Amino acid sequence: MEGVFVDLKTLKKQESKRKISKGYMWAFFCAIFWGIWYLPGTVVWVLNPFDEMSSAIAKTSGDGISLVVTAVLITAFNALAVMLALMVWNGVLGKYGELVRTLKEFHPCSKWFFLASIFGGPMAILGSFIAMGFIGGSFAAVAGLLYPVVGSILAYYWYGEKISKRAAVGIAVIVLGGISIYGGGLFTELSSGNVPWIGYLGGLMAAAGWGIEGAIAGKGLDIAEPDAGLTLHFLGENIIWWIIIVPILALVGFPMYSFALQAFDPLTILILVFAGITFGFCYVTWYKSFPLIGVGRGQGIGNLYGLCAIIFLFLFFGDVPDWTIVIGGALCIAGSFVMFTEDASELETLRGE
Amino acid sequence: MSKNRPIKFRILELFLDGNEHWNYEIVSKIQEEYGMKSNFQRDSINFDIIELASGGMLKDIEQKVDDDGIYKKGFLLHKYTITDFGRVRGSDACFRYV
Repeated sequence: MEGVFVDLKTLKKQESKRKISKGYMWAFFCAIFWGIWYLPGTVVWVLNPFDEMSSAIAKTSGDGISLVVTAVLITAFNALAVMLALMVWNGVLGKYGELVRTLKEFHPCSKWFFLASIFGGPMAILGSFIAMGFIGGSFAAVAGLLYPVVGSILAYYWYGEKISKRAAVGIAVIVLGGISIYGGGLFTELSSGNVPWIGYLGGLMAAAGWGIEGAIAGKGLDIAEPDAGLTLHFLGENIIWWIIIVPILALVGFPMYSFALQAFDPLTILILVFAGITFGFCYVTWYKSFPLIGVGRGQGIGNLYGLCAIIFLFLFFGDVPDWTIVIGGALCIAGSFVMFTEDASELETLRGE
Repeated sequence: MSKNRPIKFRILELFLDGNEHWNYEIVSKIQEEYGMKSNFQRDSINFDIIELASGGMLKDIEQKVDDDGIYKKGFLLHKYTITDFGRVRGSDACFRYV
């Protein structure tokens, strides 16, 4: 009898260990895909039609408006590419049926994904593209590292998710990192008298948007399949961009459609497909890690994307980030480590009853 | 409720009877209702149950080794019951049309 008991205990331990390492693996893949995404995200700005578009609009409306309007079209194409990648992914997994079933449940379920798409799209991804356009890829990547702070605080006030002492320390370290990222650059630019405010605003939009999105999507993910929920998020985003914002900008007089049609250039399409695959799968692996290791740990490991992005941007483009960004990024990652090295014995159920 | 609701809704509904259920009982019922015959689909349904438990809606109350290969030979089987939070989320999702 005792032998059976020991066996069961060992098996349970093994199973839990397997589950946790799988969760960490997903979160780590998320960091890699997310980091790689900054390569196509940065390159796409200098490709046709986006480079011509920004210089054409800059002539009539100024640099600031031109960059934001161009960022809108880039983000819209990014959402379209992610949607296509996710449709292939769902097809391979045989989940179209579940996708339709989830879509139909607007009130209890899919409304959360549509709401999440507002914060993930027009706020976070557009913000990130704006930060890339105005300040640079490394800054944009590192600025977004602040999002677990926003997510944890929101989850604490909204649905009473507990923040442990250790998590609070981690958050404080990440905030210090944020101060270094923003403060360092601002200080240099204030002394030169030329501050790209919109770029900094874009960085804040990315951090706040992804944090808010995580908290909202969590509500829908309680009762939805992650793959289906994620695809609905991007369906929502495509509606926002292609049915609402792009037509409105066209009506106001920006040449959205003429430039959008020019995007069907082989090199641009290739880069957009690359962006769609990397961004799509970073989201897939992000959502998959949460149920296994918890949102805090998932986001903590996921935050390694900042480091990955800086490494990839350095390897491919020779981008050397400012030292304040390097220190800030290191602090954010240290804070994430503090958060995710919490005692793992409570991992069986991630939410208190 | 029938097979036209999302799978996690249906799993929660099955637990809303207040009884304890083994994972393999729920998995085979869903497989039958949704016509999901493959091993991949079987594991994907089991993963939905794991996610519901992680999210605090189901509670893992008992385990036994699968000696007979009811689900997967040598693997651990789990018995779950619904939590208060699961009851709230499940009722919200499942009984809207009733």
